Amino acid sequence: VSRADSGTGGGARPVIEIERLVAMANQIGDFFAPYPAGPREEGVRNHLRNYWDPRMRDALLAHIRAGGAGLHAHVVAGALLLGDKAREVRAYAGPPKG
Amino acid sequence: VPNPRKPERSVVTTCAYCGVGCGFKAETIDGRIVRMIPWKEGKANHGHSCVKGRFAFDYYDHPDRVKTPMIRARIDQPWREVGWDEAFAHAASELKRIQATYGTGSVGAVSSSRCTNEEIFLMQKFARVALRNNNIDNCSRICHSPTQFGLHATLGAGAASQHFDSILQADVILVVGANPTEGHPVFGSMLKRRVREGAQLLVVDPRRTETVESPHCRAAVHLALRPGTNVAVLNSLAHVLVHERLYDEPFVRARCHWHEFEQWMQLVGDARYSPEVVGPDAGLEPEAIRRAARIYAKGPNSTIYYGLGVTEHSQGSTGVMCLGNLALACGMLGREGVGVNPLRGQGNVQGGSCLGSWPHMLTGYRFVTDDAVRATFEAEWRLQLDPEPGLRLPNMFDAAVAGTFKGIYIQGEDPVQSDPNMAHITAAMRAMECVIVQDLFLNETAKFAHVFLPGSSSLEKNGTFTNAERRVSMVRKVVEPLAGLEDWQITMRLVQAMGYPLHYDHPSQILDEVARLSPAYQGMSFDLIERIGSAQWPCNTKDAPEGTEVLHRTQFPRGRANFMLTEYVPTTERTDDRFPLLLTTGRILSQYNVGTQTRRTGNVAWYGEDVLDVHPDDARARGIADGDRVSITSRYGVTELRARLSEKMNQGVVYTTFHFVQSKANAITSDLSDWATNCPEYKVTAVEVAKVPAKVDAPQRLPAEAKS
Repeated sequence: VSRADSGTGGGARPVIEIERLVAMANQIGDFFAPYPAGPREEGVRNHLRNYWDPRMRDALLAHIRAGGAGLHAHVVAGALLLGDKAREVRAYAGPPKG
Repeated sequence: VPNPRKPERSVVTTCAYCGVGCGFKAETIDGRIVRMIPWKEGKANHGHSCVKGRFAFDYYDHPDRVKTPMIRARIDQPWREVGWDEAFAHAASELKRIQATYGTGSVGAVSSSRCTNEEIFLMQKFARVALRNNNIDNCSRICHSPTQFGLHATLGAGAASQHFDSILQADVILVVGANPTEGHPVFGSMLKRRVREGAQLLVVDPRRTETVESPHCRAAVHLALRPGTNVAVLNSLAHVLVHERLYDEPFVRARCHWHEFEQWMQLVGDARYSPEVVGPDAGLEPEAIRRAARIYAKGPNSTIYYGLGVTEHSQGSTGVMCLGNLALACGMLGREGVGVNPLRGQGNVQGGSCLGSWPHMLTGYRFVTDDAVRATFEAEWRLQLDPEPGLRLPNMFDAAVAGTFKGIYIQGEDPVQSDPNMAHITAAMRAMECVIVQDLFLNETAKFAHVFLPGSSSLEKNGTFTNAERRVSMVRKVVEPLAGLEDWQITMRLVQAMGYPLHYDHPSQILDEVARLSPAYQGMSFDLIERIGSAQWPCNTKDAPEGTEVLHRTQFPRGRANFMLTEYVPTTERTDDRFPLLLTTGRILSQYNVGTQTRRTGNVAWYGEDVLDVHPDDARARGIADGDRVSITSRYGVTELRARLSEKMNQGVVYTTFHFVQSKANAITSDLSDWATNCPEYKVTAVEVAKVPAKVDAPQRLPAEAKS
């Protein structure tokens, strides 16, 4: 399957308005907030990895590269973990393992 | 009185209304259905029925039924009737044109829980093999998607742990955010029977529903909480268990992870969840919270039933996890009489969840991001699948508004009426270049459609439904489809028109394919169901050849179950001076959801319009008398209803149903949604209510500045 056309691609408009994505990402962050540092960020990462369309993730990461205005710090940290493909957790629904 | 005429034919089938899934004998004379007789052998209903399944069937040949496919280039043009071949060719060429212009991910599909398992499976296959993406969702997105998420996270399986009959062994029944005597009446009757036999009933619900108090049935504790405080209250129940050491330590040590339990105890045991802190915020007596917790923990068999009052919140998934945590902490899983059980809304909404109609999951709740799972589908379907999650239904609408999503195939759904923040949904619809609607009637969404494919009702097709207790039952064709094709045939023909070779002669072949691809359905077949009447998944030829009544008996799907941390995060939808009341919504016995079917039957004699229940004190402060027309204004829109004074809610809470098109309840609901699933927060909207002198044109969009 070609997903060459799926990214936000150099400055193209995001798949969904960024304000919406920021609000959604922060809600995810609110849920994982009570977990200790480490699992907290990994929970955010796992959720984005397994439940968000890659275009939504790309738009969020582009927003983070542009300063990440409005995002909780641990949401930014969790989203940035997506870059480490070697440690990604796929197909998992339980609590962050830490 | 003449004797009733003898029927010519009698066909055993399954009711499509609520998630109970009652068995009925549909009887015909001269090729018309004349009556529905509840089926004694139906394992979900044991010969009982409600006023919807029993009487509300004649929508099927209502004059409004559309019997010919139709197309049009623009939504301001009149419809043009065409043949099936032309309709499929046109729809396929439009979807391909859009994908060529805007990308593979610019189109998607949504399946219906009014359709059969086989039809839902085919819809997700359509998205994956014809659209070549994972933009497929089902209507549980807007009702029970948090159930799938929350129970999967805690227990490892996103479905009811019990069969319905299990309640007859319960000593304590905890009902949260559900009103089974109206929403799931046949099950509600069984619940009341058990209460009359001596079980203690605990109800968490903002309204004094019939479940709370009816003849010979009264809740031992009713926690009439303020809408939006579910998670705080459920955590407070847990707080009591922890501090009074009412939990089942041996169960937790044997079946869960002790360190997760300790982490959870630390959270819910904190002073901020003590009944004395939570009670005043939620409008509850602290002692009532303590009593409820003690009764639930004491059991010996305590069971939980819950509905959309738990899921349709910005913390819907968290609320479901709270219930999973409670049952785990008290050891209330793995035998008859206990468990955690969602009361599913629609006839086949459990099937909608099981059959892989999700952007992130294939059949049997397995992730599309799982390479091994995807490989089994790729081998069967002989192509490569998209390895990334797709857009959910609300994401599709958001993307349409953003200009990146341009086409959708909607099977048996009416999002313009049923989805939240109507102005947002209609803006999304207008932004799309090809909307394909498959339905019985020209519903509200069809006003924005370019292709209309006339579908068939559940009385006109063969297939299976999966009810709320995971029971797969047969749906049998009673009359021929009025428009000529069963829904699975429509989807099959559209897949073919898109260029993917696929053919089935009978839906039993589709269920066989589901069985080959899904461990939970491995033993299911039309032959099995014909032979034993119905079967609950997991069903497999090795150790559960006739299905499974109770889940989690000796172990959980992941081995041990998980405690999730459930911090209370109040919704951002708040009351203030301008919007001082909280609106919550629900449904009544005789009508069903958006009413597409029941409004077209004699059941309107019992309930002909939606009304707004207002507490007498709130009404008096606003000069509103019983029967007055009132406007209901939120930050999102305004609509108009007739007021009915009622003390079923506490002061400060107003309530309405959403069965009628004219009421446009969703003109005023917000676009806030559950953090995990985007399930809309239908149950909490801050509003103001005012008497209106004469009828205005409802609904209307507020000017932009009013939203600030």
